[in-house]
Amino acid sequence: MKRGVYIAGLGASLPGFRLLRRGSVARAVEAGRRCLADAGRRPAEVGVLIHAGVTRDYHVCEPANAAYIQHGLGINVEFHGARTLSFDLGNGGCGMLDAAHVLCALLQEGTLRAGMITASEGNADPRAKGDRPCPDSGAAILLELSPRPGIGFGSFAFHTRGEYADMVKTVVSLAEARGRLKAHRDPGLEERWLEMAGSVIDEVLARDGITRGQIDRVIPAQISAGFLARLPGAVGIPAERIADFSGTLPYTLSTSVFLALHRERELCPRFVGRTVLLLAFGSGLTAAAATYRYAHGDMIADKREKEIAVNTREKRKLL
Amino acid sequence: MIESQKIRIESLGAYLPEQVLTMEDLLASCRRRPPWDLERITGIRERRVAVGEYAVDLAVQAARRALELSRYKASDLDAVICTSISKHNREDEFHFEPATAGRVAREIGAVAARVFDVVNACAGMLTGIYILQGLIRAGEARRGMVVSGEHNMPISRTATRELRHRFDGQMAALTLGDGGAAVIVDASPDPASGFHHLDLVTGARHDHYCYSRPSRRGPGGILITKARSFQRKGNAHFPAYFKEILDRTGWTLDDLDHIIPHQVSVKAVINGVKAVARYYGCPLPPCTRVSADLYANTTTTSHFLALHRFILDGTVAAGDNVLLVSGASGIVIAHATYTFDDLPDRYRGRWASGGAA
Repeated sequence: MKRGVYIAGLGASLPGFRLLRRGSVARAVEAGRRCLADAGRRPAEVGVLIHAGVTRDYHVCEPANAAYIQHGLGINVEFHGARTLSFDLGNGGCGMLDAAHVLCALLQEGTLRAGMITASEGNADPRAKGDRPCPDSGAAILLELSPRPGIGFGSFAFHTRGEYADMVKTVVSLAEARGRLKAHRDPGLEERWLEMAGSVIDEVLARDGITRGQIDRVIPAQISAGFLARLPGAVGIPAERIADFSGTLPYTLSTSVFLALHRERELCPRFVGRTVLLLAFGSGLTAAAATYRYAHGDMIADKREKEIAVNTREKRKLL
Repeated sequence: MIESQKIRIESLGAYLPEQVLTMEDLLASCRRRPPWDLERITGIRERRVAVGEYAVDLAVQAARRALELSRYKASDLDAVICTSISKHNREDEFHFEPATAGRVAREIGAVAARVFDVVNACAGMLTGIYILQGLIRAGEARRGMVVSGEHNMPISRTATRELRHRFDGQMAALTLGDGGAAVIVDASPDPASGFHHLDLVTGARHDHYCYSRPSRRGPGGILITKARSFQRKGNAHFPAYFKEILDRTGWTLDDLDHIIPHQVSVKAVINGVKAVARYYGCPLPPCTRVSADLYANTTTTSHFLALHRFILDGTVAAGDNVLLVSGASGIVIAHATYTFDDLPDRYRGRWASGGAA
């Protein structure tokens, strides 16, 4: 039986003004450092680094942004000793889930101890012109083989509707010096994503052999308040089980789902026994879904259980 | 699927645009012609140039050719991974999203395939194969396509406008060419053939030796390369990985029928061969295949365009042992040991008279 893969660490670089450390690489490095600290792991333990952001500092298209991030994080940067492979994986707003699926497969081969996925959006060029598709942000997760079965990622599903591919586009026009970022979002986009949400959830639940009723929480990309308000009707899951942070967390493209998971982690009272559905939407048009199971043995769930136990003990002492 | 089961290249597709541009003609188009004899220094005589076609078109053409030779239909593919660096999919536009793989999948009819792009500089196609190997071994895909179309000549044209002096960082942009390549990968039914090992490593301390971005001085994209430092750094490190993968495969130098390096330039390949010879303390067997003289540096596609050439001329045959070597910006060092099944025979049978290029 295949061993599962779980999130051993989660780090975020939340949207907001920065005087220094701007741009996609700086955001990813910041999120990556927090992620390693969260997992209690050293950089040298990361065997594969996948970056899934869309926009890039200075619109650099080579080398992979992941190489700059690997350098920034100090992950096995030389050719001697432990090794790391880093590369970029691009699929718009679904890139991080695509990367998670790929990394789960690579970890299950058994030759890697840990792998990191980063995503970030931004441009460090102070003279950059053009539309920005979203505010700057960064997110990172560290994946490892689960300590025991039943923890971590379940199935993944990806649905692409190529006929709608032109509805989302982010390009750099090279007609002028330094390039100009141009982002196009069709007004009917959210409707199409809502249409796709139900079927991608059907597929991932069927693969896991569970029903909608067994999903404790849906963590969707925070597309917009209107989108999240219509999502329960579109997917047949009650609104109270769908994480809506749109009031405080803007849509951040590739990082959105994992920033929402980060926020959920801050707010959620308890993880053990919960099944979460991660739901991303991106260009292509693509909808992606993955199930995730928290249980004892999961580092994040155990950490929260310890916090609860400590709080309970302290309350008892006070009483 | 068994963890150690090998994957193989079930089909190969190559596309070279018809128009040929010689090094002399490219140099003649420079506003300030470099004083160097680049043809002598690099060994690159000519390259193919896409006219009226963009990166995605080159990828689609290669993908169609790979499907023509394959026993699979497009609808059988579980994944399409596009690894182009030069996503010049329209005039003066570089595409971040949607994934170019989606467009390729749509054009070829791969309706059931998962699609995403991978960028890992010139090691992109080998990285895509590494990813597919993981997905196939994990049972997440049965077969998939890794495809790339490189429309590099817009970067060369920027260099012809912007080169200012003999040591200009854009000089290496004059060694580029256009082309497309695609491979269909599945589980190898024969344990003796397929990929034995596929190793990639990134030495990210050296990420500054080669990069590409929009020009600050005018329109177009540029490629800046510190070519000598890059080669020196690569040649200092890659021979150890070269030996390591041969040892892991259980091969000696004598077992190699072909070494297919990344085709940066003829001179760079020769320097690489010398570096390995120094490391081993003996000369390498004369089996290093170079296609840069005719196709120039086609970045991600270069290994597979070289295979196209040397399969068609009968150099590469069924059962041959091949070592693929790549050095890419990052710096990424990649090695793969591979034994061919009957693909070279099938490829020659299909394209020898027709001309895939």
